[in-house]
Amino acid sequence: MLEFRQVHKAYATPQGPLAVLTAVDLELRPGESLALMGESGSGKSTLLHLAAGLDLPDSGEVLVDGRSISTLDEPARARLRRDTLGLVFQQFHLVPSLSVLDNLRLQARLAGCERPEWSTHLIERLGLAGMERRYPEQLSGGQQQRLAIGRALAPRPALLLADEPTGNLDETTAGEVLSLLLDLVREAGSAMLMVTHSAQVAAPLDRCLHLTHGRLGSPSGQAVSHR
Amino acid sequence: MRPGFVVTLLLLTLAGCGEPTPDEPAGFAGLGEAADDFAQAAKGIELRFPEDHAAHPDYRIEWWYLTANLTDARGEPLGLQWTLFRQALTPPGQRPEPTPWAADQLWMAHMAVSRGDTHRVAERFARSHSSDQEGQAGAIAEPFRAWIDDWQLASHIETSGDPSGDGDTFAGLELKAHQDDEHGGFGYDLTLTAEGPLVLHGDAGFSQKSADGEGSMISGSMYYSQPFWRIEGEVTLDGETRAVSGRGWLDREWSSQLLDERQQGWDWFSLHLASGHKLMAFQLRGGGKEGGDYRSGTWISPAGEPTALAPDELAMTPLDTRRVAGREVPTHWRLEVPHAGLELIVEAPHAERWMDTRVPYWEGEVVARDADSGERRGVGYLEMTGY
Amino acid sequence: MLIALATLLSHYKRHPGQLAMLLLGLWVAGALWSGVQAINASARDSYARAEALFTTGLDRLERRDGEPLTREDFLRLRRAGLPVSPLIEGSLDVSDGTELRVIGIDPLTLPGDSAFAAASSQGELTGFLTSPWQTRVAPDTLPALGLSAREAGGAEPRLGGLAEGRLPPLVLSPTLPPDTLVMDIAAAAALLDSGERLSRLVTAPGALERPPEGLVLTRAATLVSPGQLTESFHLNLSAMALLALVVGLFIVQAALGLALEQRLGMLRTLRALGVSGRGLVGLLALELLLLGVAGAVAGIISGVWLARMLLPDVAATLGSLYGAEVAVTLNLPWHYWLGGLGVTLGGLLLAGSGVLWRAARLSVLGLGQAQAWRTGFYRQLRGMGLAGGGVSAVGLILWAWLSRQPAGEGLLPGFGLIAALLLASALLLPPLIALVLAGLGRLVRHRPLAQWALADLQLQLPRLALAMMALLIALSANLGVSSMVGGFRLTFLDWLDQRLMADYYLRPAPEQFDEVQTWLAERPEVGELLPTRHAEATLLGIVSSEGSRSPQLPVGLYGITPGESLMPNWPLLATQAGRDAAWQAFAAGEAAFVNEQLAIDQRLEPGNRLTLTSPSGQETLTVAAVYPDYGNTRGEVLLATPQLAQRFAATPSSIGIVLAANVDEAALRDALRQRFELGSDALVDQREVKRVSVEIFERTFTITRALSALTLAVAALALLASLLAQARERRRQLAPLWALGVPRARLVTVQLVQLAGMALGVGVLAVPLGSLLALGLVAVINVAAFGWRLPLHVFPGDIALTLATAGAVALLAAALPATRLWRTPPRALLAEEGDT
Repeated sequence: MLEFRQVHKAYATPQGPLAVLTAVDLELRPGESLALMGESGSGKSTLLHLAAGLDLPDSGEVLVDGRSISTLDEPARARLRRDTLGLVFQQFHLVPSLSVLDNLRLQARLAGCERPEWSTHLIERLGLAGMERRYPEQLSGGQQQRLAIGRALAPRPALLLADEPTGNLDETTAGEVLSLLLDLVREAGSAMLMVTHSAQVAAPLDRCLHLTHGRLGSPSGQAVSHR
Repeated sequence: MRPGFVVTLLLLTLAGCGEPTPDEPAGFAGLGEAADDFAQAAKGIELRFPEDHAAHPDYRIEWWYLTANLTDARGEPLGLQWTLFRQALTPPGQRPEPTPWAADQLWMAHMAVSRGDTHRVAERFARSHSSDQEGQAGAIAEPFRAWIDDWQLASHIETSGDPSGDGDTFAGLELKAHQDDEHGGFGYDLTLTAEGPLVLHGDAGFSQKSADGEGSMISGSMYYSQPFWRIEGEVTLDGETRAVSGRGWLDREWSSQLLDERQQGWDWFSLHLASGHKLMAFQLRGGGKEGGDYRSGTWISPAGEPTALAPDELAMTPLDTRRVAGREVPTHWRLEVPHAGLELIVEAPHAERWMDTRVPYWEGEVVARDADSGERRGVGYLEMTGY
Repeated sequence: MLIALATLLSHYKRHPGQLAMLLLGLWVAGALWSGVQAINASARDSYARAEALFTTGLDRLERRDGEPLTREDFLRLRRAGLPVSPLIEGSLDVSDGTELRVIGIDPLTLPGDSAFAAASSQGELTGFLTSPWQTRVAPDTLPALGLSAREAGGAEPRLGGLAEGRLPPLVLSPTLPPDTLVMDIAAAAALLDSGERLSRLVTAPGALERPPEGLVLTRAATLVSPGQLTESFHLNLSAMALLALVVGLFIVQAALGLALEQRLGMLRTLRALGVSGRGLVGLLALELLLLGVAGAVAGIISGVWLARMLLPDVAATLGSLYGAEVAVTLNLPWHYWLGGLGVTLGGLLLAGSGVLWRAARLSVLGLGQAQAWRTGFYRQLRGMGLAGGGVSAVGLILWAWLSRQPAGEGLLPGFGLIAALLLASALLLPPLIALVLAGLGRLVRHRPLAQWALADLQLQLPRLALAMMALLIALSANLGVSSMVGGFRLTFLDWLDQRLMADYYLRPAPEQFDEVQTWLAERPEVGELLPTRHAEATLLGIVSSEGSRSPQLPVGLYGITPGESLMPNWPLLATQAGRDAAWQAFAAGEAAFVNEQLAIDQRLEPGNRLTLTSPSGQETLTVAAVYPDYGNTRGEVLLATPQLAQRFAATPSSIGIVLAANVDEAALRDALRQRFELGSDALVDQREVKRVSVEIFERTFTITRALSALTLAVAALALLASLLAQARERRRQLAPLWALGVPRARLVTVQLVQLAGMALGVGVLAVPLGSLLALGLVAVINVAAFGWRLPLHVFPGDIALTLATAGAVALLAAALPATRLWRTPPRALLAEEGDT
């Protein structure tokens, strides 16, 4: 589903090039969920952006659904995101001008694959029933993140990329949102790559990898077994 | 003493739009300025007629100044003034070539008709070159004619037909002047007949104007009058014409240095007394000894014999003022000539005689009464400047 | 407090764009306003100076036979008691090619208080009258003489070229018109070598009842003085300047609003740190003042620069219109500068008052923050709707009041009506756009991107509203003014055709009139003769359906010849029983026409009966029609020439000559001149007059259009400024869409379509508004100001141009932010995600 092969990425800084990712190899199979942990600045977000085709590697290959993103042009990568990927951001990034329902269905409708029953199901599962006509800023933080999750899962993407999805939420809410996210990912049959700095959040996922100074390794030097 | 030339001089400085010139002219309206390049009036200059009736362009200033106290058919009093002023623009040695329009003489005329509270005034200006006898304005002796535009004072005596052959065309004059205005116009057509001789003022025609005898230059003028005019004719006022008759007084004066630089104005009287005597009296305010007023005058017998009055032979005291055109003007005087046993109260029956010309002054008819009895003794004209 | 002020201002350090926008608005508004005012002030100054001169405002006398008058004529007339004054006029070409007008006067006889007093500002008459004389000259003429103001006093510039010699010493006289040298007539006679000859004699207006024998008297009142037209021109300029100011202030208001919104947090923090609410408002006011002074000074300086650029054109136009020189260098009084500053600051305060008010009501606890923008915006829209409704009501009341007023009155309410119209439209625009967007959003429910685009536009509306209002006003003003100017132009051309019907125009002496007419009638070259006559009368009575009145009004009576060539071209505004019937009655002498001014002034209608004084007592006439008479101030009654001659003993004034086809014009001209010894100006080639007039007006229109285009440019700037101000935020809003898989190219396209669509919508709204504006200008303002109405013309080309302009303006304004978005690397977009 997603594969990194010897991926290198560096950013230009005033102090010279800064290596963010070094020789990263990674593989994620369909339906599998993977937690990516690491300190701030360890390169987690960059890895996620590369996986989403929002950025390109300096060397090595990133393959999504078997296609190398480096060979795709910008519109093709946009299409890839639209049709294959779902993104959940720490800051939710809802579209303020659209209602709850329209936000939820936005990506699915852009991809042309909206299934109303699934949307309705999502709304209910996300606890947003009765709020369809509201606007994002009229929701609480937890509701907004649940809506963002719903938006990402509405087209039933093959791969869900989540960047600290509970980072902006309090502990209780975070727990609720996380379990909901895992349930729905399983229901949608999507694979998931989640970036988090919290071991507690990473625990329920199939696998967990640690990113330290741009290099990838297991948290305790051992691979986490499949379920 | 006549203010008119003053008007001209002031006009010179007023022609702008009122910006003050840096240096205030000496004396009233600059008449006290020295004028070395001009011919000077002096004691001993002999007056010659008819030549001296004409203009004297070598002198800086000059005038032909007529006032008249008239009555209409119903006996109602009426006053009039007609004055032609001449002002040299340049000293004789600096005259411009007589090209078209070039001028060395500036002319101004005032006319006024007064009756009751009505007082109508008009003025005219003109230029001429002294080499041109047929300009817009001028004054010639033979036959006598003084004019500006269509206003003129001219002899009606034909020289060729004058049996005496002495060439004096001055004894019979005609005065014509008319002005249109919004009230229907005013003016006059008058015949003037001299019933007495010309009278020379001061010292055989030299009239001293300040007390200070020191130094080479004494301000003064050549000054003679014809105070014996009998006048007949018509006067138009506000469109209405009436036949009039009465007495007139013509002053002729020219000078290049009239005022002492300290003198700021004057009061001048001409009176026709019922006794047949005439009195001319003036005072220059501020020009006498120790800054006092300088007074002078002429007492004229019915036969025309003049007696010059020295400063101490004459007393002039303002008794009361009236507010005219925003100024306090003394229209009520006591006049004393002890030498002639004369003690008069001279009063203007109508104070509204302000000459609202470029340089304004007061000029109007007066009635003279005996100071003791209050008996009416005569009529005349009063002129006051510098108020 | 100083620290608090520094903190407030630090915002602009982080957002220099907003500062730039604020200053830009102030600058542009101030520049256009003060530029136009500078032009007006300068032109008015020139008129005043020209009027103070002796050539205008005085009746003039010339010899009937065209020979020059001489000094002898002057003396003869003076001795006859006529108050005439001699004048010599000539021209000198100086080395830099300028033609200077030399005027020689005799200050002693020149009539009026104004004449010499105004021309000579200082110095003595003696100096003026005597050698070496003086040259009075305005300071702005000095460059032509190659002098600076410092070296000018007393200089005796040597004249190059043909005129050898020196000018009399210069004396500066700022009240004189430019390029004019005034000196004593003796000096002028010498300089121009004119000998005893005079150019003309002048007298005070009305001083002579009739011309002396052998002379022609031209009344000052009848000399060309299209004062009304120049006034109309200035009115147009002022209106344009005011619009520019308003549009500029919209920018300022937008920028201020944004700057406040973004600083709400900071303001709360300052309040929390102990700055009082009043102190905060004071600080904001101080900030406004600082910005205002900076902007206004920059504006006024560039305004003057703008005026310098435009002035030569304006001067040329007004010069040709007026026959008077308008200085091409600016001459601005001190109150101009203060006035400019005052207007800009006043406008700024007006624009900023809303901001100050909001700041004053700011809650320390930030309760306002909890309110979502949506609620706030809906409330704002409601407020705008209500205010717009209120202003509309005021406009309606004004309109109702005006329609009850006698025509020709109510200039101020007329301006009020137009202002209300513009303001109401501007206020109602955002609610209207919101409604339209919501409606459209429903229509495109099944197109997610379109739905998003519309929803997103609604989100942008609070920020775009002001720019769109500015655009609406600018577009309407542009359309309104171009309609008016276009209509004015068409009307003017018609009017020229009406008035300058004949090919030649002949003014024979009255005693020659019949003879000339008979002679001309027999010439084969002549197609038709159109003799005219003129008389004066008093309008004694009017009998209309409402009853009778006796106005006692002096009117001019004009006789025209209702011939073949005149009737079809003479426009009529209202007739009693149709055009043909009106002309029939007119030609038969049964009826008269009245001009629009008289009709409006006296509420005359066709069918009314007029009683006029005539030499035989009274004459009664029926009004058959009303005709337009642009630029005239007086009431006029038109009659057939023979009738006028017979019933009112009118004096002949001119003969229009319509040439037959393909004739030898020169032969006719020469024969005419030889036969009747006509003066040089007795025969006028009307076609040349027409050509020059049209040229002059074209120039006027060009200037008006240029200013109108500048206003539009300001509106475009307002839009651009608004878009730039929110560009960062826009990118943040667009990033998630990009992340969701909408390609950047699509996003950019959507942006452009959004704005162009909205601007086009505004453009569509501007069409009726602009037409209403034009109607207000021609039917209310013009009538109130000048007493005549201009017909309203709608030009489809102008409408298309307005729409195209609206789209182009939006695309142009959106292009820069869009390009930026296009060129922003994706990573930067992402980087901005986390920002703020």
